[in-house]
Amino acid sequence: MIALDGLTKRFGQQTAVDALSFSVPAGQIVGFLGPNGAGKTTTLKMLTGMIEPTAGTATICGHDLRTDTLAVKRAVGFVPESGAVFESLTGLEYLDMVAALYGIPRAAARQRIEQFLAFFDLGFDTLSEKLLGAYSKGMRRKVVITAALLHNPSVVFFDEPLDGLDANAAVGFKTLIQTLAREGKTIVYSSHILDVVERVCHRVVIIDRGKLLVDGAPDDLVAQHNSGTLERLFTQLTGGTELERRAEDFAKTFRP
Amino acid sequence: MSSLPDATSTADHAPPSPQRALRRLFLALFLRGSSSRGLTLKRAPQSVASKLALTLTLYLLVGAVAFGFQRQPVFMLSAYLHAMTFVLLGMFVAASAGEVLFNNQEADILLHRPVTPQMLLWAKIRVLVEVSLWLAGAFNLVGFYVGLKAPNGSLLFLPAHALSILLEALFCTSAVVVVYQLCLRYCGREKLDGLMTTAQIVVTIGAVLGGQFLPRFIFDPRGNPVGEDSLSRWIFALPPAWFAGLDDLLTTGFSPRSGLLAAMALASTGLFAYLAFDRLARDYGRGIQTIAETVSRGRRDPGRRWLDRLIDRPPLAWMLRNPVTRASFLLAAAYLARDRDVKLRVYPGVAPFLAMPLIFLFPQQGQDHASGFLISLSGAYLGMTPMFSVSILQFSQQWQAADVFRAAPISGPAAICAGARQAVFWLLALPLVLVIVLVVALTGKAADLPLLLPGILLLPVYLMVPHLGGRAVPLSVPGDQANSAGRGLHMIAAMLCAIIVTSLATAADYAGYLWPLLGVELLVVATAYFWMRSRLAAMPWRKSE
Repeated sequence: MIALDGLTKRFGQQTAVDALSFSVPAGQIVGFLGPNGAGKTTTLKMLTGMIEPTAGTATICGHDLRTDTLAVKRAVGFVPESGAVFESLTGLEYLDMVAALYGIPRAAARQRIEQFLAFFDLGFDTLSEKLLGAYSKGMRRKVVITAALLHNPSVVFFDEPLDGLDANAAVGFKTLIQTLAREGKTIVYSSHILDVVERVCHRVVIIDRGKLLVDGAPDDLVAQHNSGTLERLFTQLTGGTELERRAEDFAKTFRP
Repeated sequence: MSSLPDATSTADHAPPSPQRALRRLFLALFLRGSSSRGLTLKRAPQSVASKLALTLTLYLLVGAVAFGFQRQPVFMLSAYLHAMTFVLLGMFVAASAGEVLFNNQEADILLHRPVTPQMLLWAKIRVLVEVSLWLAGAFNLVGFYVGLKAPNGSLLFLPAHALSILLEALFCTSAVVVVYQLCLRYCGREKLDGLMTTAQIVVTIGAVLGGQFLPRFIFDPRGNPVGEDSLSRWIFALPPAWFAGLDDLLTTGFSPRSGLLAAMALASTGLFAYLAFDRLARDYGRGIQTIAETVSRGRRDPGRRWLDRLIDRPPLAWMLRNPVTRASFLLAAAYLARDRDVKLRVYPGVAPFLAMPLIFLFPQQGQDHASGFLISLSGAYLGMTPMFSVSILQFSQQWQAADVFRAAPISGPAAICAGARQAVFWLLALPLVLVIVLVVALTGKAADLPLLLPGILLLPVYLMVPHLGGRAVPLSVPGDQANSAGRGLHMIAAMLCAIIVTSLATAADYAGYLWPLLGVELLVVATAYFWMRSRLAAMPWRKSE
């Protein structure tokens, strides 16, 4: 479903993503992890056709990212970390606009929007009257998730999707993506909340400084590295050693 | 939840057009602003409608100056109308294009959708041209009527002038788009922001110069139109004259002058449109991708090191003794130098005020050099650049970050405002004063330099005006509130003030009392400045919305 082959992105002298290669079959949820600045968001932006790779290629649902970008974009849904929306539109205007960009007829779009409203427990009046700029962070995130799934994509990329969602919505969302995967959708899930990744994902890919570090099922990787938890494995691999001791030392500097 | 139907199977209604959706989107964003704190849909369109109606009414009223051209031939009337339309459209397109064409946030929302960069570009250009035509239509409404009544006018003037306005709007829009696309093609990510800002300022100044110079070639120093036979050949270098030539050609028939000018209008519009919408359009996709890319800077900005050295030495070290003012100075200076959003708002916004003093210093048709009145007017206009810079600097996309000012143990905005004021003075106002002094000295009018002083003395007061009532705290107001009618009122008041000061200074100079006048002005300005400063110092934070 997704296949990366030597995918590389350089910004001037700086290599953000360095010859990344892995593949994801249909129906799998992959946790895409890495410390800040590891190249996760850049990789996701390349895979969604937002920025051009410097070298290498990728195929999504059989469409080449470089030569068939529009087909790739039709096949994918993306929830960006920024959660950006056009704030001066109402939620309904925004979703109608997104539906139109995918060629979804208005009646069908409304039907889908109502299904999402029911799932996220949002009122139609709020969606049609309130401008997105006045939404809470969580409500805005729900609209962004709805916009990503509105066209029923085969592959969905989530970049910190739980950011801003309340506990109930987060539980519902985790069940949603597990069900979507069972229905055959491919999910790439990038997050810093590692215990959620450990519970939800079939597999994790960890990168650092643009390079692939490990790729495998969470339990297998934890066992291989004898780390106990995914969190400890992550800090082992990405150089986050002695974090607890450093935190304690720093906290002591606040003594009156 | 029931399973979602597949997108291709929902053929119960015709699929919508993505192009149409994009046009509607960009028009809505343009009218409402790209971000909004408005609570409901009902509130947003009302404010938009009233704002738009006010703007169009203002344009209509300004356009009524065309009544002064009754009994003038079609070419003279059209030259004036196109000159002013060129300034208005050029400034509007230059000021809007940066935000409309290259919006940082838009990448995360639209670039992963199945739309091509060309579709995005077309939708945006169409919105820019549409709004330009509304503005141009409002401004030219009176001109249409006056053209009908011109000595050599006829009903043909109506379609001719409508066509030339359409072409002028296309010319302005495509020229601005070409400038941006050339920036995208020939510079890298690191230089892009700076270069685009410079391009926008240059285009705005170009629009002001292109529009304002033409009237100086068609009026004599007493404000009367010169005879058609006395027209300078320089008019062939000014785009508004090309479109006036087209009006003349279509309304009154062929003449070598109107034929050549009309040909230049058609050729230049065609060339720019081809370059903007076809030849360079593919670079647009690369451009918005580039804007979407995030890249960290490897080394520290050398401009910052220069600034660090500057504030540690007198006189800035003396003036920024208050640590809050010093921090605010650095913040404002950093945003004026680095932040794309602030730069694209501040510099094109004040570009007309940067250009006007230079235009005043350019000798009018039939003169060797600028008159004393115009030199004094240049000085009086100097204050507008810093005043509007301070005013515009309050708007930012990161306005929520300004909560840090209120969270800090500071009783009011005075010290924060002082830092912003100092930054604008040292980085913008002072260099501008030096340039104007240099221009006056180099054009052989060094003896008239004192005539600049009445305007220069007003600078501290102009800088304080935006802060009256505890307003204009730097970077604290959402960017979408920047297009307020309030700034227009400030501008009219400042222009009146400039004219009064200039008239007094010129009269005093004529009577030999310029220096006594300067003494009185110094006293008045100092009193006003310290009164405003003490009021601001006692001012608590305004209630946050």
